[in-house]
Amino acid sequence: MTQPHEVEILLVEDNPSDAELTLRALKQRNLANQVFVCRDGAEALDFFFGDGSHALREIGVVPKVILLDLKLPKVDGLEVLRRLKEEARTKSIPVVVLTSSREEPDIARAYRLGANSYIVKPVDFEAFARAVSDVGLYWLLLNHPPR
Amino acid sequence: MTRLPWNWSIERKLPLFVTALLLAVVLVMLGAAYREVRSAAIAFASQRVLRSNKAWVSVFERSTTTQQTQLATLVTDQGVRDFVASGGRSGHDWALAAARRIVPDGARNVALELWDSLGHRLLLRGDSALASDPAPLPASDSAVVGPWLMRHDTLMFYQVGVVVRAGPEGRVVGRAVHVARLNVSALQRQILTGIAGGDIALLVGNAGGDPWTDLEKTIPGPPPEARAHPDTTTAASYEHDEVKIGAVTAIPGTPWMFISELSRQQVLAPAQQYLRRISLIAAVIVLAGALGAWWISRRLTTPLNRLTTAAAAIASGDLAQRVDVPGTDELGRLGRSFNAMAGEVQRARSDLESQVVERTQALRETNAELEAFSYSVSHDLRAPLRAIHGFARILLEDHGAKLEPDAKRVLGVIDENTRRMGQLIDDLLSFSRLGRKEVESGRVDMNELVRGVADEVRRAAGERPLDITIGPLPPARGDRDMLRQAVHNLLDNAAKFTRRRAPGQIDVGHRADGAETVYYVKDNGAGFDPRYASKLFGVFQRLHTAEEFEGTGVGLAIVQRIVHRHGGRVWAEGQVEKGATFFFTLRGADA
Repeated sequence: MTQPHEVEILLVEDNPSDAELTLRALKQRNLANQVFVCRDGAEALDFFFGDGSHALREIGVVPKVILLDLKLPKVDGLEVLRRLKEEARTKSIPVVVLTSSREEPDIARAYRLGANSYIVKPVDFEAFARAVSDVGLYWLLLNHPPR
Repeated sequence: MTRLPWNWSIERKLPLFVTALLLAVVLVMLGAAYREVRSAAIAFASQRVLRSNKAWVSVFERSTTTQQTQLATLVTDQGVRDFVASGGRSGHDWALAAARRIVPDGARNVALELWDSLGHRLLLRGDSALASDPAPLPASDSAVVGPWLMRHDTLMFYQVGVVVRAGPEGRVVGRAVHVARLNVSALQRQILTGIAGGDIALLVGNAGGDPWTDLEKTIPGPPPEARAHPDTTTAASYEHDEVKIGAVTAIPGTPWMFISELSRQQVLAPAQQYLRRISLIAAVIVLAGALGAWWISRRLTTPLNRLTTAAAAIASGDLAQRVDVPGTDELGRLGRSFNAMAGEVQRARSDLESQVVERTQALRETNAELEAFSYSVSHDLRAPLRAIHGFARILLEDHGAKLEPDAKRVLGVIDENTRRMGQLIDDLLSFSRLGRKEVESGRVDMNELVRGVADEVRRAAGERPLDITIGPLPPARGDRDMLRQAVHNLLDNAAKFTRRRAPGQIDVGHRADGAETVYYVKDNGAGFDPRYASKLFGVFQRLHTAEEFEGTGVGLAIVQRIVHRHGGRVWAEGQVEKGATFFFTLRGADA
């Protein structure tokens, strides 16, 4: 579906329903074409640091923003965040935590690890769609990343 | 303020008391002993001088009696009588021979005279210097002893005189006078003085005045008051150069007086020496007593001080503190009991501490579980709900045109309930989070806080007319964020239930109640049935249907939890359709 070199948003989301709803919200703004979805934390790490078995590894794709869920199978979101921010190559990629958790410790830890933004997914679909599309618009169109 | 003696420590009081007691006893006993010894010394001295006097007086008595007898014998001699009666004209040799028997040839310091009644000396035998010139002393039939006389400047003499009678009628024709010297041999002196004791001064002289002698030389006589009351049974005390204890006796048959006297000071000297010696002993006893009392009180107070120090240390938290009070007396037992008690306290404390540690651990685990649970609820319940809501919306948006009206209505119900469920989850989470959050304590400006919340609520009401008046509110002490949440819930509630009023009227005010302040939020809204007032603050408790007023029934439960966590109370008053007033109390900012 997505051409590797066009990846602009990396969505790390284990829940297929949430992934679909997110994609739908992005699609409404015509942002869905450059989205690549990882189903768990391990896959996300593989995307950046894998042994080369990953399809996109060799190309060295750098997405414009990473939408990261916290509660993930295998490797959880905070661990992924930590690894990304440790590595010089991936440190400057903006990471937006997109999660159901409103818990204060999660929020604090995410920011401490270098998250650029923390969004709580609303239950209400309209609110959710608005939040996701706003994030996409902001980071893809308004934000100016370093070259 | 000076500390009074009864406030002193036992360590000072006990030795002081014992020393004072000892001192009093010793002083009383010293006084009594000294008085006894002194009176004994005086009594003994009195006895001595009396005994001495008795011996001496008998010596004098005997010697004058001999002379009196000799003289009486002389004047009964017929030849002597005739000689005197003849006026010395006849019988001179006879008379001289008779006189020689009394005054032998060569006798010194003695004289014998015969006088006629006309005052002419008829015969002088012995020392002419002793002649009784000019007139002899008056004489009677019995020989009379006269007073002491001073002759040869220093020697003391006395006269014994007797009348001479002659003729058939026994007419007085003259008198015989014997002048003799005070004659005490050195041996006599030595023996008699030795019997009474050498320190006794012996005086003899005229009862009426000078001259006096100490049996060796003439001396000034004792003062008249010493001579005033001669007494053979009692010694007198009088001033003679110094205070003397003396026996003063009139020698019978003479105008003489004999005195044996002792210096009172000398008599009392041994008593005084005795006093000095036992005073020294008493001082040693008092000193020893004071030291002993001090030692005992030290022995008593040292363990007490140790106990006090240890008790203070334990009171200030050092439970390992023990005391060292050896011995099996009361103090030793007290020390052991104290140590046992301290051990018990320490054991109880460490039990308690380990219990607290256990309980805290258990509590922490429970809290962690609860947190994990909340996390799960927060994350895992919301995701499916979002999916239900999201896909129901997608169904409606993408396939709405193909759906029958009833299907659309069902989708609307799904939409409505998932929204509500989401709200419930959010409210429930924030309610449970409140229980775990620390309450911070600070000064909270309630005016500013309520104004801020009121602005928010007004904005949320949009076009609807909403009149919120805020009276001046005193500051409170508490957690700003929590109080803001509580006030927000109350104002939000009031705004919700006044929706059907135009305008909606909300009053926020206060009244003082001791150290607390009662704040209230009053509205003119739908009110409630006062029978259910107690149910208002329960979780998920609602007095209105969701169709009338939306809500999850958690808002007031949150208000109650916040107020309770601040140590305050919360209650409500109201009537159906007549508005409601919610009260809550908080401590003042200065409390």
